Amino acid sequence: MASVEVQGLTKWYGKRRGVEDVSFTVHDKEFLAIFGPAGAGKTTTLNLISGTVTPNQGSVRIGGKSIDGLEPAERNVAMVFESYALYPQLSVFENMAFPLKSPKFKVPEAEVKQRVMRVAQVMKIDHLLDRKIQALSNGQRQRTALGRALVRNPQVFLLDEPLSHLDAKLRHLMRAELKEMRQQLGTTTIYVTHDYLEAMSLGDRIVILSDGRVQQIGTPDEVYFRPANTAVARLFGDPEINLVEASVQKSAGDRLTLQMFGEKGTMPVPREIIDGLRASAQPKLLVGFRPADVELRTAGNGQTDYTGVVYSFEPLGTKSIVTLDGVDGTRVRALVDGRNLYEPDRRIQFALRPERLIFFDPETKQFLGREEKVGTGVE
Amino acid sequence: MAELTLKQLVKQYQPNLPKAVDQVDLAVRDGEFIALLGPSGCGKSTSLRMIAGLESVTSGDILIGKKVVNNVHPKDRGVGLAFENYALYPPLTVRDNLAFNLKAHGVSAEETGKRVKEISKYLHIEDLLELKPAALSSGQKQRVNIARALIRRPAVLLLDEPLSHLDAALRVQMRTEIKRLHTEQRFTTVIVTHDQLEAMALADRIAVLNDGKLQQFDTPLEVFNHPANEFVAGFLGEPPMNIFTVERSANGSLVSPGTEFALPITDHVDRLLGHRSKVKFGIRPWGVKVRPENTPQSVPGTVSVVENLGDETRVGIRYNDLLLMSSIPATKRYQPGSRVHLTFNDEDLNLFDLESGERLIAA
Repeated sequence: MASVEVQGLTKWYGKRRGVEDVSFTVHDKEFLAIFGPAGAGKTTTLNLISGTVTPNQGSVRIGGKSIDGLEPAERNVAMVFESYALYPQLSVFENMAFPLKSPKFKVPEAEVKQRVMRVAQVMKIDHLLDRKIQALSNGQRQRTALGRALVRNPQVFLLDEPLSHLDAKLRHLMRAELKEMRQQLGTTTIYVTHDYLEAMSLGDRIVILSDGRVQQIGTPDEVYFRPANTAVARLFGDPEINLVEASVQKSAGDRLTLQMFGEKGTMPVPREIIDGLRASAQPKLLVGFRPADVELRTAGNGQTDYTGVVYSFEPLGTKSIVTLDGVDGTRVRALVDGRNLYEPDRRIQFALRPERLIFFDPETKQFLGREEKVGTGVE
Repeated sequence: MAELTLKQLVKQYQPNLPKAVDQVDLAVRDGEFIALLGPSGCGKSTSLRMIAGLESVTSGDILIGKKVVNNVHPKDRGVGLAFENYALYPPLTVRDNLAFNLKAHGVSAEETGKRVKEISKYLHIEDLLELKPAALSSGQKQRVNIARALIRRPAVLLLDEPLSHLDAALRVQMRTEIKRLHTEQRFTTVIVTHDQLEAMALADRIAVLNDGKLQQFDTPLEVFNHPANEFVAGFLGEPPMNIFTVERSANGSLVSPGTEFALPITDHVDRLLGHRSKVKFGIRPWGVKVRPENTPQSVPGTVSVVENLGDETRVGIRYNDLLLMSSIPATKRYQPGSRVHLTFNDEDLNLFDLESGERLIAA
């Protein structure tokens, strides 16, 4: 049983906030991603758990036992850093066996061999055990470093951006391989990353940090489809989500007529949002929609909602980004099928998929609702 | 603006070292935007520096317009250069930063004022003219930087990794602005980048370089959909193309030896193969169609990893050392351990010669 409970962790570096009042629980065998932009407090959080940094306030419990005040070596956590610090002159086997040779563990030779073999098979490096580190590819070094952390059989695995130094293309493959491995290992893991694809792919749940504070904790579907605020919405997805202010013209049942892009459109809106607008004299909503949810039509077919002019066209291969200006000049990004071409300055019709709109409060930027049930756990 | 031509361009730093740029031929049309794309050390920056006159030419010619400029001083070549690091003068306002180069060239105050006005309008920096660089955002600095390169009305605009230090969201935004600027103004432009998305998004044509040699020079979609060779295929596209070795089996399939990967050979593939018995097989993740039930043309496999990425799902199917990745619309249908059947459309398939790496084309 190795759950991790983090309660009210706070760390100030002089006047600079490292993290403030960070709380979350990692369940036994869960893979938790800590995600946020640079300077959000991700690595600080990890260091507070590993014991290399001491908090001003707050506590950490592993498997129900407080580890506050314990030395890093006494915490039974294994940490893998971005730079993996392998011994270049030693073989893969020697590197992996190294932690077990420490006098603290006193693991018998036969068991060392057995443990290294088992982990090497999972990591698919069992054919490389006699190789020196210099002779390995980047991906193989990565696996060796992860393997070295795993042979110790720690209660908790702490990973700090282990893929961030790989080039973008190799990262896609290594991410998938890492996910494949974790299915076979089932060790409780906390994984720090600034890459939203890594957080979504690997995390059972994601803790989103920004400016040292927790913004949201949720499953990948929850944070992607029902982001707690616009800051979270903007951190997931490339290109970024569109955020457009809409003024409410009229409500009829569960539908609202919204003025957006300088044009009117009527669409279904969750009941609780409509009810919440009644008190307001000049009701407004902030509407979020992802570029993939903008549909472009070359000719109006009578059902399209908005008119735009192509500002710029950027082919990316399988997909293209089309940037549009609405009637009132509002700029909108659409992600479309890469086979179609859109000339700049061309007039075009575009529509939004109403069930996929994400509504935010224009003042507080907090999530209000979404028509579609995806990410609620009852879809 | 003018056309730019590279003829058999070579750069060799020392006789015993490999050539940094090796016999590169490029013809850039007047008003065209091209990208020099490749990994670090491919020769793209060296090429740019030779065009700018910051690096001597070992052999070959550089022409701007109809004129060979190999021995023309950098400032007389008519090139405007914007580097990755901006190097704006901190004590000067944006206006003075822009005017600086013109004054040095003896342009009149009146003419300078006119050009500053004109260029700041193009680049939407009119409101920034009285600010010092320290007060600008990185996106604004970038625009001022490009304005400064353009104000001398160069024949060719050279951009050296102009976006690489920006964060992801701003990079996408600035990419759009640079693209729009080119749509409006049609400057002959050469951009150096290692970012394939940037090259695809911006350029009319992309020159892909590797080891100093030109691999392919064509439109973004042509380079993406019809790569000349295995290097180009692997360099463009994210997630990357699946590329692995297959053999022609006795019963008429392409197989990955020791695995259950066996794809019945169609007439199209047969024509591509010719006499070859062993080739590299390339398929982009979007070209790998996953279905629950088999068809006569399908390849069996077992899902070993599923990545739910919001609007997209990636499914990995393992064949020994090969993890074949598929990208499909969001679905919860597949789990690790699911048995699946893969199909590929002929037009999505690439075969590469095992030795040369060239993409096979039906005779």
